[in-house]
Amino acid sequence: MITVHNIGKLYTGKLVVDVQQLEIKEGEIVGLVGNNGAGKTTFFRLLLDLIKADRGEILSKEKNVAASENWKQYTAAYLDEGFLVDYLTPEEYFYFIGKLNNRSKADVDEFLKSFESFFDGSVLKSGKYIRELSKGNQFKVGIAGCLLQKPEMLILDEPFANLDPTTQMRLLKMLREIHAQNRITIFISSHDLNHVTDISTRILLMEKGKIIRDLHTTDDTLKELEEYFKV
Amino acid sequence: MLLTLLSHQWKSFWRSRNAGKNLAVQIFMGFISLYLLLSALAIGFFLQKLIKELYPGQDISTVFCGFILYYFSFDILVRFLMQDLPTLSIQPYLIQNIRRSQLIRFLNVRSLFTILNLVPILLFVPFTLTNIAPVHGTLAATGFIISILALIVFNHFIVLFIKRKSIISSWWYVGFFLVIAAFITTDYFNLFSLSKLSASVFSRMLIHSWLAIIPLLMAVLAFINNYRFLLNNLFLEDIVAKGKKRVSSDYSFLNRFGTIGELIGVEIRLILRNKRPRSIVLMTVVFLFYGLIFYKQVYFEKEMFGMLLFGAIFITGLSISNYGQFLFAWQSSHFDGLMAGNLNIKAYIKSKFLLFTSVCTVVLLITSFYGLIDWRILLIQLAAYFYNVGIHTVLAIYLATYSYKGIDIGKKAAFNFQGIGAAQWIYSLIVFLIPILIYLPFSLLLNPWAGIVALGIIGLVSLLLQDWWVDLLSKEFMKRKHRILEGFREK
Repeated sequence: MITVHNIGKLYTGKLVVDVQQLEIKEGEIVGLVGNNGAGKTTFFRLLLDLIKADRGEILSKEKNVAASENWKQYTAAYLDEGFLVDYLTPEEYFYFIGKLNNRSKADVDEFLKSFESFFDGSVLKSGKYIRELSKGNQFKVGIAGCLLQKPEMLILDEPFANLDPTTQMRLLKMLREIHAQNRITIFISSHDLNHVTDISTRILLMEKGKIIRDLHTTDDTLKELEEYFKV
Repeated sequence: MLLTLLSHQWKSFWRSRNAGKNLAVQIFMGFISLYLLLSALAIGFFLQKLIKELYPGQDISTVFCGFILYYFSFDILVRFLMQDLPTLSIQPYLIQNIRRSQLIRFLNVRSLFTILNLVPILLFVPFTLTNIAPVHGTLAATGFIISILALIVFNHFIVLFIKRKSIISSWWYVGFFLVIAAFITTDYFNLFSLSKLSASVFSRMLIHSWLAIIPLLMAVLAFINNYRFLLNNLFLEDIVAKGKKRVSSDYSFLNRFGTIGELIGVEIRLILRNKRPRSIVLMTVVFLFYGLIFYKQVYFEKEMFGMLLFGAIFITGLSISNYGQFLFAWQSSHFDGLMAGNLNIKAYIKSKFLLFTSVCTVVLLITSFYGLIDWRILLIQLAAYFYNVGIHTVLAIYLATYSYKGIDIGKKAAFNFQGIGAAQWIYSLIVFLIPILIYLPFSLLLNPWAGIVALGIIGLVSLLLQDWWVDLLSKEFMKRKHRILEGFREK
């Protein structure tokens, strides 16, 4: 699904992302962990062609993401509020995303019904623009906007950070269900080691731009990670 | 108490503005203010000479009197666009032992310290002292100065009031501009003369100085009105932010344009729901009336079509240039999302074309009322329209791909230099220079109409080539996409 060749990104003379070789197969759930400044978000941005790599390339389905727009049709991502059109109501935003992906209004409405418990009554028909929602609710809108696209590849940056415990559990459950149904590839970063090892089939550990460990998730993975992050 | 608050305000000014803001912009603004004040002072001192030259044989005082209300009506408009609402983040003070009325008095007094209040003083007081006092006596001069000061205060507080009201309901905005437009139009067609009214009121005041009590009363009423309104709406910001129920809007007429229509729908909401683009649009609407100043009968009589064409380009194209100078930057807060989303760049560029073309077409239809002045203006405007939709749009989009500065669309528009860089200056220069370069050779070699027709035809041809332009502009956009994204993320 994703092939990384020698990708590198410089900021003020420092390599913030420096990944020699990486292959992500279809249907994998990959968790990206690492401390602040390890380069996780920058790596995601490279993956979405939002920043220009200083060297190397990233292929999505064998096509360079920087050269073709093809990946946009099957990739959905939510990194931060910069992905939300914040002066729209949540409904308007969903219809907009739906339209970009050729989904009719009725289709979107139908889809949103399945999100009722996830939204917990505070997103739809709230009478607010997205910019007036709390950070957690904005995140819910972003995630729902991603899933609405029925992506083959889903990228989420720290999805658990702003959600309340109940919603975190719901999100985990939802991602597992979607993965079971459609075998989509999921790529998430997180500081929550419990959740991320819980859901991922593979863990990548980043430090100073490099992927220093590539683990197939087993029962010991959590321990190994805790060992690494120990103070 | 007032002094403590003032010192806090002083600190907040220096500690926030200087923190991140561009010093060059501050200095530039300082120069502009100084220039304005000096010009006002110079005009004030030479007013007598000016009047003598412009209105030979007429009584200087009478001409001057006719001018006063004109000035103050114009003043209201300028204030509406530029005057800041005095704000003090009052939350921390509300729970302290300070009376509300004190806070409000502070807000009102502080707001008076603006350059806009200084200009009329410099403009009118010197003339009053040098011309009114010797001829009509000290009493008359005193009455005059009192009424000038009173009118300043009146304008000041009435504008604050209207601006505050229009935060609550946009209808105040609309109403305000309709009234202004009505004044300008009736004055232009000589249905109602502001200068006659002004002349008769102030000439009378020269004889009966006690009449100065009328503007004084107006000023006091405006002040009290504003004071009471503030007292009842001290929590205005909160009320507006939390109390209003937001409703989803549906622009189903855009559906048949597919993705492009949806993009335009989002952009319409952007304009309607955010302060800066909204005020830009309002300014554009005001400038539609610019033709009343620009389209002079003399130009028709002397066949100075170049001037008229320039005016027409300005009027029909301002909607594009005002909005187009920040074309992508308007969306800077969610540009990441747009670029990562399932959105074809060509469709995105096309949506910009369609938006420009439709707005420009509406403007053309509205401004066709200038045909009442002289029917030939319709042809000139049509040529200007083709230039604008055919060439101006391309330039706007092309130059937008070089604009890397994001803007905060929640801020006011007037005197806001955020997001303005070299690209914006070049833009305004090029856009109005190119039509002149097309027009001039034809008009000099053949005749003015040839120049106008040439501009129209070139515009039309370029419009027909739009698909080709879309391809080209998409490629240009992709070349600089990452720089734009990076710039917008920084803000």
